Amino acid sequence: MITLTYYPGCSLKTSSKFYETSIKNTFSFFGIELTELNDWSCCGASAATTIDEKLAYALTGRNLAIAEDVGYHLFAPCSACYNRSKVTNEKIKKDRVLRDEINETIYPLKCLGTIKVKNIIEVLHDHVGIERVVKKIAYDLSSIKVAPYYGCVLTRITKMDAFDDKENPTSMDSLLWALGTELVSWPYKMECCGASKTLTNKDVTFRLSNIIMEKAQSVGADAIVTPCPLCQMNLDLLPYLGRTDKNLPVLFLSEVFELALFGRIGGMSSHIIGVDGVVKKVKKK
Amino acid sequence: MDDLTFLNQIEEISGEKISTCYQCYKCTAGCPVATEMDIYPHRIIRHIVLGDREKVLKSKTIWTCLMCITCSVRCPNDIDIAHVFDTLRKVAVMEHMEAETDTWRFDKLFLDSVAKHGRLHEIETILKYKLEKKDLFSDTKMGIGMFLKGRMGVFPHNIKDRKQLRKIFKKIDSK
Ligand code: SF4
Ligand code: SF4
Repeated sequence: MITLTYYPGCSLKTSSKFYETSIKNTFSFFGIELTELNDWSCCGASAATTIDEKLAYALTGRNLAIAEDVGYHLFAPCSACYNRSKVTNEKIKKDRVLRDEINETIYPLKCLGTIKVKNIIEVLHDHVGIERVVKKIAYDLSSIKVAPYYGCVLTRITKMDAFDDKENPTSMDSLLWALGTELVSWPYKMECCGASKTLTNKDVTFRLSNIIMEKAQSVGADAIVTPCPLCQMNLDLLPYLGRTDKNLPVLFLSEVFELALFGRIGGMSSHIIGVDGVVKKVKKK
Repeated sequence: MDDLTFLNQIEEISGEKISTCYQCYKCTAGCPVATEMDIYPHRIIRHIVLGDREKVLKSKTIWTCLMCITCSVRCPNDIDIAHVFDTLRKVAVMEHMEAETDTWRFDKLFLDSVAKHGRLHEIETILKYKLEKKDLFSDTKMGIGMFLKGRMGVFPHNIKDRKQLRKIFKKIDSK
């Protein structure tokens, strides 16, 4: 049994609520307990850095300080939250001037950068491990071909080490392999979906997400798999953004775990692009 | 001698060593929206070095950038170009030279929501944005579709300690 502090961020409580459910189903199966970060606030996403960097650090610092007080590592499933939290945490640890400045702003809270910030792939690797995944699968996913899609900011962390290769990550590939799926090889693992522009410049989001969908289809995938709620949403919204061609289902990594462990997906009905085709391919082992 | 004020200003605010750029084009080559930019990323960097303040601050490029950080992790000189663009947006707004206002408008409304509730209140923020743009109905179908799938939050997400949060916002404002 291991406990982690869970930082859901805004999307896992609203537009991607079913991602939260699916993470909880998967984690509790492997004995990972999540305690939600008490009174967490928004990390500011990309908006805060654009308006005022200090504010971005303070907003994230507030959450980190609350987490540090509890002492468990912080799990942030949203790639944007993860990136912001990880960068801020490292800076707090290494940059004394900035640390003092942040702590002055969030007083009476205090943060020293003592905990680790982890994303979903890291948690599954560190606290479950490939061997245990292989041992526990109950359903055969070998007829499902998946395109692993990491999205842009999960491993692109500037000026510091990332948990995987910044340009060609493979950690999610190994998890998907352990789950028994067939993997396609494609060059779009990290391409940007146009995340932040969905409202302000829909055409750009459409163009970029459409290319990713098209490419995944052309290499014969049955589904795209991602750990990022923003990527999932932009790709899943493609029918509304104007795409008339056939779409592939866009699954969360934890939903593939659900398929392999329980043979079904809890939040199936929340998907805009239907996932039944993929679920039907699952066979009992 | 060239006028180095602009370069010094941007290097100081961003903390990035812009002058180390040797124009290898790597940033532009990997940028997913380079074709939509009026000035390519590597040229922006060069124009900063040359002191072309207006050209840079009035460019569409800094607003087209998606902050995907591809350029930054690839730059052989470790210049965080996305961060430079972020800095340029701030300076452009400060000096009233912004070429596009939507991104900034949405970011501000986003933060207003965080200041008020502690978290993003999606529906409220989107409606406000659309009202400001006087374009309430263009994405109605998408909105309804998401709502029916349970993917749009209607209620605000208030945190308990909003007082402390307001203090944080105030402290930053008065700096
Ligand atoms: S990648 Fe870096 S060094 Fe190369 S042109 Fe761009 S900013 Fe200059
Ligand atoms: S961060 Fe901006 S400039 Fe850099 S590659 Fe991405 S979109 Fe292009």
